[in-house]
Amino acid sequence: MNLLETKSLSIGYAQQNAPNKLLQRDISLSIQPGEIISLMGQNGVGKTTFVKTISGLIPELGGEVFYQNDNLKTLDSNTLAKRLSIVLTEKPYAQNLSVVELIAIGRHPYSGWMGTLSKKDQEIIDWAINETHINYLANYKLYELSDGQLQKVMIARALAQETDLIILDEPAAHLDLYNKIEVMMLLRDIARKGKGILISTHDMQISTQLSDKLWLFNFNEQVREGTPEDLILDGTLERTLYLHGYGYDMIYGTVNQPIESPALEVNLMGEEVVVYWTKQALKRNGIVVNSDAKIIIKCQKGHWSVIQENHAIDFNSINNLLISLRNFHQNKD
Amino acid sequence: MIQQFLETSRQKWTRVFVALVALFLGSLLLNISLGSVAIGFTDLMSFLFSGTTNNSGWDLILKTFRLPKAITAILVGSALGISGLQMQTLFRNPLAGPYILGISSGAGLGVAIAIFLGFYLGGFLELSGIGRSWLLVVAAGAGSLGVLLVVSLAATRLKDSVTLLIIGLMFGAASGALVSILQFFSQAENIQAYVIWSFGSLGSLSWTELHVFIPIILIGLASSILLSKPLNTLLLGENYAISLGLNLKKTRLLIIINTAVLAGTVTAFCGPIAFFGVTLPHLTRMLFNTSNHLFLTPLVIVFGAALMLIFDTIAQLPGMEATLPINAVTALFGAPFVIYILLRKKNLNYSFKS
Repeated sequence: MNLLETKSLSIGYAQQNAPNKLLQRDISLSIQPGEIISLMGQNGVGKTTFVKTISGLIPELGGEVFYQNDNLKTLDSNTLAKRLSIVLTEKPYAQNLSVVELIAIGRHPYSGWMGTLSKKDQEIIDWAINETHINYLANYKLYELSDGQLQKVMIARALAQETDLIILDEPAAHLDLYNKIEVMMLLRDIARKGKGILISTHDMQISTQLSDKLWLFNFNEQVREGTPEDLILDGTLERTLYLHGYGYDMIYGTVNQPIESPALEVNLMGEEVVVYWTKQALKRNGIVVNSDAKIIIKCQKGHWSVIQENHAIDFNSINNLLISLRNFHQNKD
Repeated sequence: MIQQFLETSRQKWTRVFVALVALFLGSLLLNISLGSVAIGFTDLMSFLFSGTTNNSGWDLILKTFRLPKAITAILVGSALGISGLQMQTLFRNPLAGPYILGISSGAGLGVAIAIFLGFYLGGFLELSGIGRSWLLVVAAGAGSLGVLLVVSLAATRLKDSVTLLIIGLMFGAASGALVSILQFFSQAENIQAYVIWSFGSLGSLSWTELHVFIPIILIGLASSILLSKPLNTLLLGENYAISLGLNLKKTRLLIIINTAVLAGTVTAFCGPIAFFGVTLPHLTRMLFNTSNHLFLTPLVIVFGAALMLIFDTIAQLPGMEATLPINAVTALFGAPFVIYILLRKKNLNYSFKS
């Protein structure tokens, strides 16, 4: 069953007295239960417009949107609220609410006239709090939360809405790496329990690692869909995110620095972790790592030796290694 | 876990409500006992339970003056507080109040026209038996209703709530201008009559007028309680509210009509009482530290009633023959209080974050 399906959907803005501003056409995509999908593309390519269109906030310019085989147009707002919940980048404007009160607002489509919570409503709220591991925050006011905590609370609110599909706009923006990973792992757990999750994001590294599929939006081009690895290997990701000027590293999923020529070339050996980080530092400094290079650097934790023509120099940090290599390269010129 | 949370919160709010109702009853007794003649507590009790104080003079004062005035104060306090609260939440603006949509300006224009043309209409009204006070009520009501119609029409067409706010402001400016023009061509006594109306008054309602006033305000307050749940979703922002299944245009229209009926009726009967509706919601949010409308709405109703009774008691302080204009009293005593709370708690920002 498709949680969401778009058939030849065209999105953009209808304008009065002017031709419609079309952003994307012929989008035919679908989400299955258990899938986590990242929606990527440059600013202005129509990601937010797409999200607004499928959530019924703005009209489509053509095609159709289906939720579990029901056309979006035939769903009233309350039924749609039971199929789709969203987490936006905007913060709730009133901060003087407790976490539980906020999550309880997520029961809006189910609760009674006066917002009274039934036994079932209470159970679902409890479940949403447990699922997002925010029990310790339940009595906090929103203004007491950090950005990462607030994001988890907003996800709990979406869970309390009990929908099979959750759409999140930039859920990891403004978060530090730890919180970013925590939020993404949380979403992955939620998806594995049978919900569909669509994330609009710019975070290439995390989304290529954690998503089942990418939806790539490009200017003047058909929307592309596929597993992250396929899209990386056939170059679509690089083209979509406009990375060719910078060189997208196909193996590490990182962006390379432009390299000056002629560059210093070295070969790295040793402990895998140390090699990985040494390599990153060398790349940042315009030094090329090449297995045929004559200069060899042996890497161990806390110990680097540069070997050239049977002559070795030792270093105790990457910093010292870099200083020496830079001097060496300049002297050679 | 949530059960425990709901239980503690129920206990807390029950205590708060009991305390507030006690404050309300205290202010009610104080309000009807004080005035140009002070009536003792035991006499008040016997009046409330048996309908007489054994002093026919006092009975007359209580029945014809103090009781209607106290009832008016209660309803005006609750009504203005609620409409201020609704406007502040709908427009996400701490400066919004009952009159932000131009209700009082419309009423003012109606009254100005009635007073300044009343010179010509006066004879006709005397003949048809409609009193001067009803003329003002009808004029102010018609003015508010006109504004309500235009604003509701705009609300059904506009997506953006803030645009509505600006339309309301434009109404205020335009009707203010018309009133100035009318004043320019009027005689001094008419201008004075208009200025006195604009001071606001709680004491001008008799029982006949209360027969109309009480049911309208009670219906308005009851509907405001039903609007608490949608108002709560608006606390998250309009996009979230829509995603939660809220029909934004319909809800917005209901809120505007509710506010306009409450504020418009109060203005029609008592004149424009400005300060109270803007500050009472802030005061309630700050004192009770919540933005949850399921609690905030009943709190504002009871607290607004109690506070208006206290302000009215101050306005008719014993030993003074005249009653001070209620507008002046609410601002004079309310403003320092709000400043004090702000300096002490500093949490107004938590309720309004853009």
